[in-house]
Amino acid sequence: MLVLRRRVGETISIGDGVEIEVLEISHTRVKLGVVAPRDVPVVRKETIAVAAENRRALELVTDGPGGILATLKVLNGGSLRRP
Amino acid sequence: MTGSSSLPRTTDPSACALSAEAKTIHSPWLGEIESDADSELYFPAGMPGFEDHHRMVAIEVPSQRPVVYLQSLERDEICFAALPVYVIDPSFRLDLSDDERSVLRLPEDGDPSIGADVLCLALLRKSDRTVEASTGAAIVINLHNGRGVQCVPREGASVLFRLCPDNGWRREC
Repeated sequence: MLVLRRRVGETISIGDGVEIEVLEISHTRVKLGVVAPRDVPVVRKETIAVAAENRRALELVTDGPGGILATLKVLNGGSLRRP
Repeated sequence: MTGSSSLPRTTDPSACALSAEAKTIHSPWLGEIESDADSELYFPAGMPGFEDHHRMVAIEVPSQRPVVYLQSLERDEICFAALPVYVIDPSFRLDLSDDERSVLRLPEDGDPSIGADVLCLALLRKSDRTVEASTGAAIVINLHNGRGVQCVPREGASVLFRLCPDNGWRREC
């Protein structure tokens, strides 16, 4: 891993079109500004995991709501809501 | 509990969430649904993986409560099934980041009341022969203005629940 030390207002350049600027530093957090081409997705890393979960959530419904309800009822003792 | 009573409802899958100037959605999964501007939810940033989908409607089918469907108003085939987080985890605590509060237009200080101020839903997804949900990635909807956001838990802070036969929802991590 390349490690660089930067101060507020300083920038890191990646490739041809990506720049990351340090905007603000507080005790526990750093605020970054990212300039990137429109076709380069810029997301927080943890967002990628949630996106994958959401795509799987979509598959549940595309199987038909009947399947969801049957699964919930079977696993939940015949009721959608626990007593 | 959550504010499910304030959700738009359907009387059956072919009925609807409505009032004046109803818009008809042809959901392949829920059938024909009518929705009006008052029941429309607005997700300014979309949801992770669905960033281009900003307009949704929450639908309850009375016979399927407490399941809530989040149906896209922009693409009929985009529809999620969810449960109020308290159904899955009665000890759930909402922990919004500053950015999430800003999207929802909530005051910076003070915690919103789940049910009175915000609705919290966890999306359901398949997991082998059961169903799972991440309450840390809750969908939060401001009941006062219809704005919504999906929380993104910090790395390693995700909370996963899995529905177990006869044991209800069990926390996995």
